[in-house]
Parts: sequence; C-alpha cells; structure tokens
Amino acid sequence: MEIAYPVGLIVVAAAIIIGFAAIVREKDDLHRILLTDLAEILALVLIALVATDLAEALILPGLVVGISELMAVSEVYIAKEGLRAPPAEPAFRIEVMESAPGILALILVAYGIVLSGFTGGAIAAVGAVFYFMCRGHVEQFELIETVSGYAWAIWIGAFFIFMLLPAYWFFAVMMAGGAILIKVMAKMSLVGTMRRGGPDV
Amino acid sequence: MFNLPTGNIGGQELFVLEFGDIVAYFSPYTTALFVFALIFTALAIVSRPEKQMDIAFGGDAYYAKEVDPNLMRFQRFMAIACGLATLGAMVTGDVFNFTLFASMVGITNIGIVAAYRNRHVLNAAFQYGIVAMLATVPLFGGAAIILASTGTLSMWELFTAAVTVPLIAKAFLVLGVMGEGMAPFYVAKAEITRAQGAPFILMVHVSSLLLFLRVTEIVISM
Repeated sequence: MEIAYPVGLIVVAAAIIIGFAAIVREKDDLHRILLTDLAEILALVLIALVATDLAEALILPGLVVGISELMAVSEVYIAKEGLRAPPAEPAFRIEVMESAPGILALILVAYGIVLSGFTGGAIAAVGAVFYFMCRGHVEQFELIETVSGYAWAIWIGAFFIFMLLPAYWFFAVMMAGGAILIKVMAKMSLVGTMRRGGPDV
Repeated sequence: MFNLPTGNIGGQELFVLEFGDIVAYFSPYTTALFVFALIFTALAIVSRPEKQMDIAFGGDAYYAKEVDPNLMRFQRFMAIACGLATLGAMVTGDVFNFTLFASMVGITNIGIVAAYRNRHVLNAAFQYGIVAMLATVPLFGGAAIILASTGTLSMWELFTAAVTVPLIAKAFLVLGVMGEGMAPFYVAKAEITRAQGAPFILMVHVSSLLLFLRVTEIVISM
C-alpha cells in the first residue's frame, strides 16, 4: 500500500502527459471532445488512487461533473456545426399496429395498475411504449413529463405523511405506491420511445 | 468546537453552518465575497436583457440585433445558477465541495456564453468548454492529493499548522480553478463579451473574480 500510491501517481502522470499531448496535436473538434473525455477519466483515476471510502464517495460527483460538462460541450458542438438529425421514417408497417394498440395498451396499463408498484409500472410502461410505437409520440412527451412531475410530488408528499402524521401510514403507502407506478411508467416509456429516434428526440 | 486558526487570512469566523461534517463558515473575508456574489445574483434575477445596436462603419446606418427570448431565458437561468454556485464556493468549508462548486461555475459559464447562435461565439464557447473539461483533471487531482496526503478535506483541519499540504496539490488546485472558472483569462474574450446579453455575461466575470479570491485564501491558509 505504501508503494502503490506513488507508483500509481507516476502512471497517472504519464497518462496525463500522453493525453494532453494528444489533445494539443489533435485538430478535429469531435476527436478533441472524445480525448477530453478520456482526460476526465484520468481525474477519476486520481481520485480512485486515494483508495479509501471517502474516495468512493468523491468519484460519483466527479463522474457527474464530467458527464454534464461533456453533454454541455457536445451541445455547443452540435449548435456550432449546425447538425440536425434527419427525419426518421417508421421502422415497419404492420396492419395490427394500426388497429390493436388502443386495446392492448389499455389491457396492459389496467393490469399494471392492479399489480401496482415497480412491477406494475413496468407492465403499464410496456403498454404505453407499445401505444406510442404504433401511433407516434409527438406531443405525448409533454403530457408524460407533466404526469411524472406530479407523481414525484405525490411521492414526496407521502414521505411527509410518514414523517409528520405516522398514524395515516396506510394512506401514505397507497399514495407512494400509486405515484411510483406512474413514475416508473413515465420513465420506462420515455426510455422506450427515445430509442425510436423520432424527430423530437 | 470550531475555531479558525488565527494565522488565517480570512480572519476569525463570524458564523458557522453545520451540515454534518461539512461545515460552511462566514469569516469577514468570505462574507464580503458572499455579499458581492449575492448582489450580482440578484441583479441577474431582476435585470432585463439589453438589445444590442450595431452601427455600420463609415455611415449613418445602424441595426438592432434580434434577441431570441428562449435563449435569453436560458441565459438568465444559467447566470442565476452560476451565481448560486459562486455563493456556495464562497462559504464552503470543504475542499472537495469547493472543487465541485468551481466546476459547476465552469459548466454554467459554458451555458452563458453558448446561448447565442453566432458562429464565432459558439467557437469560443467550445474552446472554453474543452479547457474547462481538461481543468477537472488538475482540480479533482489536487483535491485527491490533498485527501491522500493529509487524510482530510475539511478546511478546519487543513488550515491548522499541524497539517502540511504538498505544494503540488496547491498548484493543481489553483491550476484547476484557473481552467474551470476563469473564462475571461484565456478564451477569445472579445468574441464572448461582444455578444449581446450584458447583465448575464457579467456573471462570468464576477464568478471568475470571486473564485480567484477564494482559492487564493484557501491556498495561502493551507
């Protein structure tokens, strides 16, 4: 352990020199973004070298900062280069996808509500994803986001009931269960529809 | 229980705010910086964006630049977030929290300058973003080396004479803050500040000034 830290530092220092030299030499902007991401990993390695519980607690914020900076710079790059995603065609056209989605989605969502909680949210989300997959999802996104926000507020409200009015725990359990159902459903349907690569993604 | 060492350039602490083991403190020095940041955050909240006029050289013609309300709203949000991050960086008593606040200032500064659809400004913002990302290496590296060599990140411990912080860690910390928070030092300043949005672009300068003053205090006191 005594020798491991200096040796690790030397290795990281060499890696930093190599990485920064690469960034200096690289002229293509996209490649420079990728190289800076590699450099951020080195910052995490430096933290991880501390090798205590505290380092473990510091890596997560470091990672979040790195990712958010990467996203910000990537957005600037997209705006700078004027990049646009090409309009996507539906992947496939099947007759049943025109007629069935309403009924199937209704069944799945209703079954999800009966199950409630995480499992129910997942089942209901499958229904919602299926519906959006067949019918398109241009303006439904705003609706999902709004509902998800309200679900979060209800969930927090349930926690306040637990803390302040423990006598009404059953009501709070019901509130939290319903809200987590809606929350999981909203999350999963957003994930499911994002994969489709529509014009609004 | 909490007593800042007397050699500290910030002076005696006036008020201590405990969040578990993370203890923010107000000394005369940090209070002055805090109030300064508070004033400029309030200005960013209440002020209205300017509408820039361009005068054609060598004639009487002039034209007003269009201001996109959505981008302005985004820029105002980023300016306020930058002000809040600066407020946090001014009073925190924990080195790692200071680095996190500094990198948040960096991110929000990218946001402030990137809220234009001018190609030159976006180019400058991109270069700034690259430097800010690279600066996280020395910034977090400095904090990690401080933690590894002293076993603590609390400024209450680090400011005492018993704890010695290696010079390389101090240098890394200053280097990281320079890259992260001090946009005006090294990017094409003219390109960024020429853009419209006077009250919000000011936040970039205010935050960099305050971060510089604060990191000076930390490094000298350690």
